Amino acid sequence: MNPAIKFLLIVFNYLEKINTFFLRIGRQLAWIAILLMVIVIMIQVFFRYVLNNALPWPDELARFLMLWMTGFIAPSAYRWGGFVSINMLDRFLPKIISNLLFILLLVVSLGVLIIGIQLGIKHINAGWIFNSSSIKIPLSLIGGKTENIKLAWMYMSLPVGIVFLISVNVELILRSFLSTFSKIDLPLDFDKEKLENY
Amino acid sequence: MLVWFLPLFLLFLLIGLPVFFSLLAAPGILLWLNDQGRDAAMLYRNIYNGIDSFPLMAIPFFMLAGELMNRGGITLRLVEFSQAMMGHLRGGLAHVNILSSMLFAGLSGSAVADTSAIGSMLIPAMEKQGYTKKFAAAITAASSVIGPIIPPSGIMIIYAYVMGESVAALFLAGIIPGILVGVSLMIAVKFMANKYNFPQVTRKATWNERGKASLKAFFPLMTPVIILGGILGGIFTPTEASAVAAAYAMFIGLFVLKSLKWTDLPKVLTKAAMISSVVLLLVGAAMAFKTVVSLSHAPEHLAAFVLDLTDNPYILLFLINILLFIVGMFLDAGPAIIILGPILGPVFVDLGVHPVHFAMIMSVNLTVGLATPPMGLVLFVASSVSGERVETIAKAILPFLAVEVIVIFLITYFPAISMTIPLMTGFAK
Repeated sequence: MNPAIKFLLIVFNYLEKINTFFLRIGRQLAWIAILLMVIVIMIQVFFRYVLNNALPWPDELARFLMLWMTGFIAPSAYRWGGFVSINMLDRFLPKIISNLLFILLLVVSLGVLIIGIQLGIKHINAGWIFNSSSIKIPLSLIGGKTENIKLAWMYMSLPVGIVFLISVNVELILRSFLSTFSKIDLPLDFDKEKLENY
Repeated sequence: MLVWFLPLFLLFLLIGLPVFFSLLAAPGILLWLNDQGRDAAMLYRNIYNGIDSFPLMAIPFFMLAGELMNRGGITLRLVEFSQAMMGHLRGGLAHVNILSSMLFAGLSGSAVADTSAIGSMLIPAMEKQGYTKKFAAAITAASSVIGPIIPPSGIMIIYAYVMGESVAALFLAGIIPGILVGVSLMIAVKFMANKYNFPQVTRKATWNERGKASLKAFFPLMTPVIILGGILGGIFTPTEASAVAAAYAMFIGLFVLKSLKWTDLPKVLTKAAMISSVVLLLVGAAMAFKTVVSLSHAPEHLAAFVLDLTDNPYILLFLINILLFIVGMFLDAGPAIIILGPILGPVFVDLGVHPVHFAMIMSVNLTVGLATPPMGLVLFVASSVSGERVETIAKAILPFLAVEVIVIFLITYFPAISMTIPLMTGFAK
């Protein structure tokens, strides 16, 4: 085997395992987040409509959870081909050209993600200055002082998602490169079928 | 210079770059070439602020409600109810298919969920009664586009958010158009039933049987009442209504109908979270894209170009419907609304078309696009559920598509069809 291909295959195998491990954790956290969102909004409706006492925090907490849900699970959706695109052209192109085009598109996507992570980190840094308006950690319950959480904890959701999107994107580039230029069978992610057929 | 981002965006889309990345890459590259690199930070913040929204939260909740209904044996009860009402007609199961889709539309906001839930139940049953497989798949696909037209509706939440309209107004505006699509399809089936001698197999259900079927379907059928009643009565916002719908579906699935298992719950929640995350990112990217659209003055240029052709709104609406139909053939309704709404909406509102009316024209047209070849998501699902080839279904669906195109033009040229309810209830002015 060509040493370059061999090297890429080793990198691919590691990356594939790392992604599988972290994305599984991400999906678990995401379903917990959406469940908590339902509960939080039900609490909001109950307090306002039944007890006539509108709470200040459910709105912001539910948004906090939704942002993190998106960050946690979007990389899985990307890995499983869930990002909508028009795949008309590859029907008319020869296989090798459509594979190369696919790799080129992945490289463009990678560029967008890399710029995104740079901007995301700046955004987080700005978030350490501001307090959340309603989400507080009630340390007073254990004798401390109630602390407002910093907005940066909310801002972090998207960059965390982007980091894993980048990781998945690199895996996809390696996968299509290796399957175009070598005849090795690459491992597939069977979690997708498990989720769809139960 | 900046105006070139539209052709660049189209190029990216056509060569197959995911919509999310196209929405960001095209304006990003041009901002950079234009030495407006600093505005890229604004793009990022707009994505974040776009997702960080309470009204948008209705999307994950309605997705979840739909997934829960799909699992929880609720479809079966709706089909049995429709069977008791319309099963005795000639072409009975075709009518049952359409009525089930209309009822299902009141619970879920997605055409794909509708096709897979109703198709997997009714296509085999229709085949057994002697309908061809392609006809059964075609009527399932054609009727499932009612899903996002009758409220609740995922694409209308997206439209309302991206364009700053009221979700309640759009929900209310969708009721009559949705029913109109359903009734028109039923009329088409009636004509076809006589012409092709469709089977008439079951006797008419007695009122006693109908009562029993209604009782069994009572809890699922209460969902639209809770959602719309709650919003109209000022009890909760559309987002809260969607959370209530999800909690209600979970409750009746787990405790009343007992058709949902606790162990299924994480998977259902994961699925809903995953589909929602893609939509949320798209909407975030669309909010960023929208800012660049207005920076580039693209709607003004487009309006000037369009008004050069003609300033007769009737002709323009005709042309726009053709454009939307072609776009719908290649793109899902959600992304198409996200991309075209900010560009086309302002042009037509300036011409005097009511924003809610225009929202309806766009939504219904692009939703019908879900069932058109070559890129009709609903056709693909109908094909995988029925085992019939996509090309075959695409041919069999043509008469129904023709009916739906007529309905699109009725909705376009008779604003009262969509505007009466929102105007009467005061949700549109």
